[in-house]
Amino acid sequence: MNKVTQIPVSNRKTTLSKLGGQKFIVLLVVILLFLFFSVVSPDFRKYTTVMSILDYSYYITLMAIGVTFPLITGGVDLSIGTGLICYSLAGGYLIVHCGWPVGAGMAVSVLFGVVIGALNGFLVAVMNLPPFLATLCTCMITRGVGSLCSGRFGISWPTTGAPGSWFRNIFKITVNGTKVPIGFLWVLLLVILMAFILNHTKIGRYTLAIGSNKEATILTGINVKFYHIMAYVISGLFAGLASIAYSAVFSTVQPGTGAGFELEAIGGAIIGGVSASGGVGSIEGSLLGVFVICLLKTGLPYIGLQANWQQIVTGLVLIGAVLVDIIKKKRKAV
Amino acid sequence: MGEVILKMKEISKAFPGVQALDKVDFEVKRGEVHALMGENGAGKSTLMKVLTGIYAKDSGTITFEGKEVEFHNTRDAQKAGIVIVHQELNMLGHLTVAQNIFIGREFKKGIRIDDRKMNEETKKLFDRLHIDIEPTETMSNLTVGKQQMCEIAKAISHDAKVIVFDEPSAALTETEIEELFKIIRDLRKQQIGIVYISHRMDEIKVITDRVTVMRDGCYVGTLITEECTKDDIINMMVGRVIYENPKEKSMVAEDAPVVLKVEHLNAGKMVRDVSFELRKGEILGFSGLMGAGRTETARAIFGADAKESGDIYVNGQKVEINSPEEAVKCGIGYLSEDRKRYGIVVHKTVAENSTMACLGDYVRGLFINKKAERNISQDYVNSLATKTPGVDELVVNLSGGNQQKVVIAKWLIRDCDILIFDEPTRGIDVGAKNEIYKLMNRLASEGKSIIMISSEMTEILRMSDRIVVMCEGKKTGEISIEEASQESIMNMATREIG
Amino acid sequence: MNNREKSSSLAEIRGNFGRLGGVKLGKIKHNPIVKKLGFNRIILCCVLVLMYVLFCFTGKNFAGLPRILSALNYVYFLGFLSLGVTFVIGTGGIDFSIGPVMFCAALVSGFCLTSHGMPVLLCLLISILVGTMFGIFNGYLVSYWSVPPFIVSMASMNIAKGVASVFTKTQSVSWPQGVDANGWFRKLIKVGDFPVGLVIFLVFAVICSVILNKTRAGRYILSLGSNKEAVRLSGVNVRKWEMLAYVICGTMAGIAAIFFVAAYTTVQPGYGDTYNNEAIAGCVMGGTSMAGGLASIGGTVIGVFIIALLQEGILALGFTKDYQLIITGLIVIGAVYADVVARRRRN
Repeated sequence: MNKVTQIPVSNRKTTLSKLGGQKFIVLLVVILLFLFFSVVSPDFRKYTTVMSILDYSYYITLMAIGVTFPLITGGVDLSIGTGLICYSLAGGYLIVHCGWPVGAGMAVSVLFGVVIGALNGFLVAVMNLPPFLATLCTCMITRGVGSLCSGRFGISWPTTGAPGSWFRNIFKITVNGTKVPIGFLWVLLLVILMAFILNHTKIGRYTLAIGSNKEATILTGINVKFYHIMAYVISGLFAGLASIAYSAVFSTVQPGTGAGFELEAIGGAIIGGVSASGGVGSIEGSLLGVFVICLLKTGLPYIGLQANWQQIVTGLVLIGAVLVDIIKKKRKAV
Repeated sequence: MGEVILKMKEISKAFPGVQALDKVDFEVKRGEVHALMGENGAGKSTLMKVLTGIYAKDSGTITFEGKEVEFHNTRDAQKAGIVIVHQELNMLGHLTVAQNIFIGREFKKGIRIDDRKMNEETKKLFDRLHIDIEPTETMSNLTVGKQQMCEIAKAISHDAKVIVFDEPSAALTETEIEELFKIIRDLRKQQIGIVYISHRMDEIKVITDRVTVMRDGCYVGTLITEECTKDDIINMMVGRVIYENPKEKSMVAEDAPVVLKVEHLNAGKMVRDVSFELRKGEILGFSGLMGAGRTETARAIFGADAKESGDIYVNGQKVEINSPEEAVKCGIGYLSEDRKRYGIVVHKTVAENSTMACLGDYVRGLFINKKAERNISQDYVNSLATKTPGVDELVVNLSGGNQQKVVIAKWLIRDCDILIFDEPTRGIDVGAKNEIYKLMNRLASEGKSIIMISSEMTEILRMSDRIVVMCEGKKTGEISIEEASQESIMNMATREIG
Repeated sequence: MNNREKSSSLAEIRGNFGRLGGVKLGKIKHNPIVKKLGFNRIILCCVLVLMYVLFCFTGKNFAGLPRILSALNYVYFLGFLSLGVTFVIGTGGIDFSIGPVMFCAALVSGFCLTSHGMPVLLCLLISILVGTMFGIFNGYLVSYWSVPPFIVSMASMNIAKGVASVFTKTQSVSWPQGVDANGWFRKLIKVGDFPVGLVIFLVFAVICSVILNKTRAGRYILSLGSNKEAVRLSGVNVRKWEMLAYVICGTMAGIAAIFFVAAYTTVQPGYGDTYNNEAIAGCVMGGTSMAGGLASIGGTVIGVFIIALLQEGILALGFTKDYQLIITGLIVIGAVYADVVARRRRN
């Protein structure tokens, strides 16, 4: 008797958690934020605003997808922000000043990201440096390298209409005079792809395993170093992809910028349910979390707060999200 | 029993400063349960780690199924058919049961991991072993006992020919141990060789066919279980007949006042409604099996973990203890079972560790009075006979017993009247053990009151004036030393609670 | 297995090295004077001197007082940042918000001075106060709420930048020049050619060293960095002491802000994060362990001198600021790796 009544209860719990309690709440927050800004500010309701939110969201989402992997291993990648600028400058320099075809420049950007990701992975997994310190160093190094690549000047990737500007259409195409945010489609596809990789392939499974209990994972005979490095390589790869999104959306890339982007991406991932202590996380969650950040970023000026408030709010929201995670764990422990 | 499947011959392994294994022989036959016994530090775990490739051996040979082998990691050993179920659980808490069991050898469909097939296979495996666990359950939601079952199932799923159980029963309840034995008997029938490491003599008698005893990294001998007695094994383990007189009567004066009274203490699952009294000059033994909730009770009293309800009286006064800080103010000191993690600060010297609990008394103006600190520490090094080159030596360089003395000194310098000693002699050699016993008796005769948590029956019977027995978070009995016997205590420690 | 082989071969190399150096190295290491000063610190001093000599020969006009004074300007603010972060790293934590916090303090107090006309002394106090506030914020979250230090650092880094920008409306702030009526505070670093700042910095270093080694706060901070639970179970209020380390760090960032503006006058909002790395580099090079529990103020001071000299030297050799970033990054990686290896050897 007892058993019969127990089973449905536990089943209900798992189905609810499968639907994703936190993700559901974050989705609700996204909708509420959107409604709030729309009600308060008429300008916010315009199609162009939605477009600009999406424009902002691409590179942050891409970074967030990537950084979810190191976060799940229990580490972090702080180099993605300045890295993004560095890769974009390097690719842009080759296109603008060396006459490389745009496709080749883009490939260089992405490849550069992969290389720096591999470097991070090596420092963390093989040399055993604390992840935040190792990536803080590569953050500084990429900032320096980016600046050197471009000779300390800003780089403008080909503007709309100029030859070689086709890459801008990857994220936004104009159909009958209206702009269609096609980039969102690509981002969604990548989210689905990476969610698949995280949940249904070896790379993802072992990333979760490392974050859950690294020692135990080593004892099962898995090549932990390789998969640990892979998490950072994915992060670097997506920082490279993000650099293309960034170059396509913004006209000029300035050396020395990019610090702070990583906060938006990492903050988004953590709001979306990635645990700061590793082992737990989802790509869909990170996507939703990023939208909270992007809405705040674009929305705050519409309710009369300077753009810089957004930095403060993002910082506080990040702390809030981590606190929620910590309190939840404390409750579970009791 | 079949032919010999695994033979280890003259295995030696040295660590810096220690000869951990010295020409050890060991063999396992097909369909045999072979116990490996020895005191802590006798080299059992090291031997098994050499076998499964975690450590490389310095010399000797391992022959498996007639061929000489050398494994470089656990995976090699697994592939060959030798699997170890570790003492500490190697669980990936955030993954599901099935994902844990097939970690590192997932079924794949193209590049996709076939979770459905993994769940089905797990279900089949569990059915075969009569384990009732849902394969899709998240590992961290299971009890420790069930996690252990999963670990065993995982070992079996490797098509193992030899399975090593490293103290498998430590975290299990009685019924779970029964289940474990059923599984082991099953495996024996399937002609699998089993190595069973345990400290529990009664288990050895029940489940094993042969016993190999090790002492101080050396092979002592192998006996056939049916033909030997408990004492034979114990004699081999210690190399001499244990002759420890239990305490005959309580040393506490009839009218000794109650210094600590705990009423209806509740803290989590492991501490349910615990009440007891401690009198001045008394050594109160806390007995029970592993996981009975004794350490948890001590930690709750000491304020190290949050408690839900319950009252604590010190010298008749009701006190609120919500942190170790407050407990220490009440004159309670706690000697943790895990010295390395909770007792000593490795980067600090003997003197600095000694004054950790009462540094305030050694501050003159703004600064620490290092001379006074060293003096007091030296006094206690002398009186406890701590072996150290000097009080400025880092504690990490001391042996286990001497580290323990430093921690005891910490509480004595703080002048705590109530001392909780949690497994005070764990991981300490015999000589140092006796010194600690002497010290405890001296402290009690000086009027300190001691709660001693111990899993060793002989220690409980030798030291305690009175004994409290716990089982599954509840106090199941209290008995004076005059009436206590191994049987009566064990009876209370294993009592079924409805 | 791989790892084991590697470490054993490493040990072999080390063994050979020891044998080559033979008795001599051992003798030097056990010389009482050397022991007292610390072998590593002596090596660091040698490195410092060698670097200076090297730059003098290779750099343009490197020898001479102006370069030294210019390097000292860098030492002051970086030194205070490093001293502060030594306490935090001693607890086993990290604070890489110090650079932006320093800038935030300099901007907020500078804005009070230039736009609200507050007295200079008050503004200097405001600067220290701002730093302390951030220290309290970081420390409270880390010690009382167990938020991972790197998350707190990341958040407060951005909050500091945001606050500074909002407060100054994204304008840079210029503190008064030495000749101005309000320029007296510049004498904090230099009177004539005499580097007063160096004296103040060294005094602070001595104070920090005393706090770390001779007081209860220092003892508890380092002990909890080594084994927090053991210290807690000794009945010590570990949260309070852990928080104190962050507060000291924040206050030091506030003081660093004063020395920054005294040396460089103008502060721009939105920057400052490059100094995190340099401050941590100075600290870790000086022998403070990233795992906590071991810290040396003397080492930090020498480390800061090396970093400052390096920044100056790189410019003198004709390289741009970008190379500073890259080289400092590589140095931190090297220093932290040395720490990792040393820890592994100890175990």
